[in-house]
Amino acid sequence: MIIANRKPVKEILNMINGVSRALILGCRGCVAVCSTGGEKEVSILASALKLGRKQRNQPVEIDELTYVRQCDTEYLEPLKELGKRYDAVLSMACGVGVNLIAETCPDVKIFPAVNTTFYGANTKSGEWKEMCAGCGACGVHNLGGFCPVARCAKNLLNGPCGGSVGGRCEVNPDTPCVWHMIYNKMSKFDESKNLSKIMPAKDWRPAGHAGPRYRKREDLKA
Amino acid sequence: MISGSNLEHILTSGGFAVTGELGPPKNGDYEHVAQKAKILKGYVDAVNITDCQTAIVRMSSFAAGLITMADGLEVVMQMTCRDRNRIAMQADILGASALGVKNLLCLTGDHQKFGNHPQAKGVFDMDSIQLLSMAKGMRDDKKFQSGEEIKFHEPKLFLGCAANPFADPFEFRPKRLAKKIEAGASFVQTQIIYNLEKFKKFMEMVRDLGLDEKCYILAGVTPPKSVGMARYMKNNVPGLDVPDEIIERLKGAKDAKEEGINIAVDIINEVRQIPGVKGVHIMAIEWESAVPEIVKRAKLDPRPEPKIERPPLISAGASREVLELTVKNAVDSARAEIMNDAQKIKNEAEKAKELLNREKAILNNEIAALKAQIFELNKNNLDKENNIKDLNTEISRLNTELSSVRIGTSEVTVIQEVVTQQKTEEFIWGGEMTQREQFVLDSISSGLDSLRKALGLNEDQFEAIKKFLQAQFILYSSMAPTASVSPAVSAPAITSQPAVTPLPEIKSEPVVSPEEEAKKKQLTNLIAKANVCFHKNDIKGAISSFEEALAIDSGDLRAKEGLLKAKSMLPAKEEEPVKPAPSAQTGQLLPPCPPELTPEEWQKKWVIRYVGIGNVCLARGDRQGAIEAFNNALKLDPQNEKALKYLKTAESASVTSLKMPETIEKPLEAIKTEPIAETKKTEEKKPEPVSVPLQVKSEQVVSKPAPPLEKAPIDTATGELPKETQPLLSRVGKINPSLFTEKYSGIVKGVKFGDGAKALVVGEEATMPFNVFEGDMNNPPAIAFEVMDTAPEDWPETLSKYYSDVLNDPVSWAKKCVGEYNARAICLSLVSTDPNGMNKTSKEGAQIAKNVIEAVDVPVVIWGCGNAEKDTETLREITGIVQNKRIVMAPVTDANYRSLGASAMGMDLPVVAATPIDVNLAKQLNILLNNLGLPLNNILMDPSIGAVGYGLEYTYSVMERIRLAALSGGDDKLSAPFICHLGREVWKTKECKLPTDEKLGDQETRGIMLEAITAATLLLAGGELMIMRHPKAVSLVNSLIKGLM
Repeated sequence: MIIANRKPVKEILNMINGVSRALILGCRGCVAVCSTGGEKEVSILASALKLGRKQRNQPVEIDELTYVRQCDTEYLEPLKELGKRYDAVLSMACGVGVNLIAETCPDVKIFPAVNTTFYGANTKSGEWKEMCAGCGACGVHNLGGFCPVARCAKNLLNGPCGGSVGGRCEVNPDTPCVWHMIYNKMSKFDESKNLSKIMPAKDWRPAGHAGPRYRKREDLKA
Repeated sequence: MISGSNLEHILTSGGFAVTGELGPPKNGDYEHVAQKAKILKGYVDAVNITDCQTAIVRMSSFAAGLITMADGLEVVMQMTCRDRNRIAMQADILGASALGVKNLLCLTGDHQKFGNHPQAKGVFDMDSIQLLSMAKGMRDDKKFQSGEEIKFHEPKLFLGCAANPFADPFEFRPKRLAKKIEAGASFVQTQIIYNLEKFKKFMEMVRDLGLDEKCYILAGVTPPKSVGMARYMKNNVPGLDVPDEIIERLKGAKDAKEEGINIAVDIINEVRQIPGVKGVHIMAIEWESAVPEIVKRAKLDPRPEPKIERPPLISAGASREVLELTVKNAVDSARAEIMNDAQKIKNEAEKAKELLNREKAILNNEIAALKAQIFELNKNNLDKENNIKDLNTEISRLNTELSSVRIGTSEVTVIQEVVTQQKTEEFIWGGEMTQREQFVLDSISSGLDSLRKALGLNEDQFEAIKKFLQAQFILYSSMAPTASVSPAVSAPAITSQPAVTPLPEIKSEPVVSPEEEAKKKQLTNLIAKANVCFHKNDIKGAISSFEEALAIDSGDLRAKEGLLKAKSMLPAKEEEPVKPAPSAQTGQLLPPCPPELTPEEWQKKWVIRYVGIGNVCLARGDRQGAIEAFNNALKLDPQNEKALKYLKTAESASVTSLKMPETIEKPLEAIKTEPIAETKKTEEKKPEPVSVPLQVKSEQVVSKPAPPLEKAPIDTATGELPKETQPLLSRVGKINPSLFTEKYSGIVKGVKFGDGAKALVVGEEATMPFNVFEGDMNNPPAIAFEVMDTAPEDWPETLSKYYSDVLNDPVSWAKKCVGEYNARAICLSLVSTDPNGMNKTSKEGAQIAKNVIEAVDVPVVIWGCGNAEKDTETLREITGIVQNKRIVMAPVTDANYRSLGASAMGMDLPVVAATPIDVNLAKQLNILLNNLGLPLNNILMDPSIGAVGYGLEYTYSVMERIRLAALSGGDDKLSAPFICHLGREVWKTKECKLPTDEKLGDQETRGIMLEAITAATLLLAGGELMIMRHPKAVSLVNSLIKGLM
């Protein structure tokens, strides 16, 4: 799932300086699951902003609304008209939602209320960890299922580096060394000899270094 | 031969190779690199040029390598994957090869986080093993990484890699080395070796894999420069293993550097014995000069003469020799120029010196002349002195005679004038009080003594006159004759003394006749002296100096200004004896006023004191004494009602004796005596309760009659606890502090509330409550008075009588708490908004809160009715109206934390997180609030309180556990301070409500003690903010806090 973080209230207040009518638009997708941009969070942000503006002596009118998803054009249809009534629409969806609104609703002024951070897993209550970098060419079958592209600070494909001590990463000792995990997992399946093969230099084109990625399925086209 | 490098040559021919390391500078200094290269030349076979090691920007390894080569030293160019993608790396490999670089060490590189640009984007397009493959492919397959062909001049490089035998997983390390060898590495330089045992094991595994046959292994050696460096490497460099024995060796050594070199030599000798080790790589980090010494001592010198190709660009253009010559010439010419300049400056300095000497001589002459003048004048003075002596003798004789006669005015005048003249001269020359003057003063004293007898003055009156004359002596010693002296002498006979006129001959006599310049100097000296006196609070001294200054130059503005200022300070000190009509007696009744008080205050104080004495006498049954004391009070203040009233009481025969409290010395008992006084009150008409002047400040002595009858301030003052003057550590003697002190890793956060000068901070502690010998307690705990928004029905009369006049008006109530009971904070309880009670609307509640908040300048806690929904409405309403006052919102519970938390976050207000006596629930609510974005230093915890006998012990243990978790359990989510809403718990108990009876004792005392003891217990459990009701209980607890801090 996409993990996002709400921006600090101060930053948002500065962003909407001068705005007198705003809509806070939540999303029931990933951001609702990671407790950042769902219905609840929309109402908390609305209260905080109203109060913040009151304190600045610039009261603001804020409406709250949450869509099923902001990354699908069909759900955004009503916003094209509705959005015109506001000086600003604050999207609490990930960057995808913000971009899509900007693209499909030309008359709506859209602002991001969250920072989209990574693809992660909810490892325990209140904790998310990055697990994938979306590099477009998954090869973790050779690596015990762990991804060094997302989880090694140096993106090593032939690790672990000399800074791996006690299963910890030297760059951030709170983070486990993913290469240590790979080695242990592979040893467990008696496949550690596979690690003796040199992994060739990676083709970074599918990872986005060949321009924005795009996918099309003829069979599904309307 | 792969590249034909010197290093390759030695290794392939079976020699033991030595490589060094050279770190390029963090600047563009050619010489820096050349110097380092010179040191190493002849002692190493090749030198590694590092590539921005530890991710710190330095001269590129490529450029620094060329400089090194120009000095005839072979390089191993290091290349990391951190800063370049495969395009740049291949380009550099081609370039390096073209310029004669023959060895390449392929590394992944330290992560940019450790360097000086942690914000940088790490490239890491490839890793070290892929880089080796790529370089090998370019060399052997003549192909770029993409597979494209290199048609000719492929880069022929001797490839190396690094290996860390000490990183984890240990058993995988040799296998990874195998990968590197397979990828293309011909030689390996290991991480720094200190742990030889582990390295031997590593080599064993390497040999088992047959790797020692496939590549040349060079053991990494670094001489530790100091113990600090060894420790740093041990603790801060991941993947470096420094055994304790190395650190011990360095610690024990006389010369750590020498020992560092020895350690390196020992390690070299050890690793040479290990099969498979084909050389050493000596990394003397920023200590290149150690390398030759190490090589020599390890008997590895001389190194075979290398056959080195100099880089074509540098060797073709300017050889080192030509360069050096040019540099030398430049240096010589620069030196000559500098010497020339220096000579010029020297000449100028000498001229200036001569000039100075001349000036000095002139000044010396002037000083000598002045000295002569001074001598002359002193001689004159001596003559005058004799005259004065005669005069004084005369005076004392006259004074003796006067003892039976009333004093006239002229004598006094004479005394003063003599003194005046004397003083003038003395001060002009800046003299202090001399023997002569002392003599004069003594004479005056003896004269006055006689005077006293003659007039029958008492000791105090006399003292006043004497002091005053002394003041005059200094004050008027050199003043212009217009100044009036008359008010000074307060003896009745001489109240109308005329202005003093100095004798004409003294005035006309030219006292000083030095040059204008000397005069000015004097003037400045005097003003300076006066200012010093002024700052020392010696007003009189200041005045006299200013006046002397004026005597020299009556137009001097500085002196005039100063004098005015000083005089304006003076009256406060001088007026006292000048009091009209009754002042003669006043003098007797009033001791001299201390400087920190105005005479009015001082007099008031004494009136109070006399009334107090009177009361004490009354209580003892000493009617005479009482009447006298009350009379004294009336003399000072004839209008004083109390004195009048009590005087009448005393004079009437109906006085029954009041019992004196026997426990005056114990401040805590002061309260106890109160009820006694009160019961008496009901019997008598209106007795003054016995106050305790010994312990209580005299202003507060005026004690209360029963509140409803008369509006007088209630005495709630409590004495102070004796403070421990000796710190604990000095009291414990020889006991080791570690036996009784605890170390805490956490702190309790501080919460600030209120605004302006009276804002309060509670918390900020690094120790358990009051254990100030273990850690700091930045802020003493505070107490807030509870104010109800509507007249409380269930308060016992023993409590409500203190607020009887304000019970219906929360604003006046709050004001009373601040004004009369010195409340430092107010807690407004909005009980009337309770939907199950009066159910006032949120708007009404908010309006009351607003009025209270605006009426007082102390911080305010707004405590809702306890109904989560209603509180949410009311408190949000309040935050809407009240701006910029940091009120505290309470209580926030798990039922309404979201909405109230959001309000608090929006307005940046502290909240009270209320949970029912449970550590985990308290933590949970803090976490929830924290996750909303409310920082912990805006949270006060209300753990729920019970009064003594009503579950206090449970509260205590929960609070203590929370505090211990915050301080030593590292649980920062519990590090908020506590707020204890205890007044409401205490005053609803039956102990506070049962009337006075023999078994249970006095009802009010019982309530006060119950509240005070509950508060004391909670303080010891860690409570920082107490909400209390009874002013006396508050006073007791305040004195306890003061005593404990």
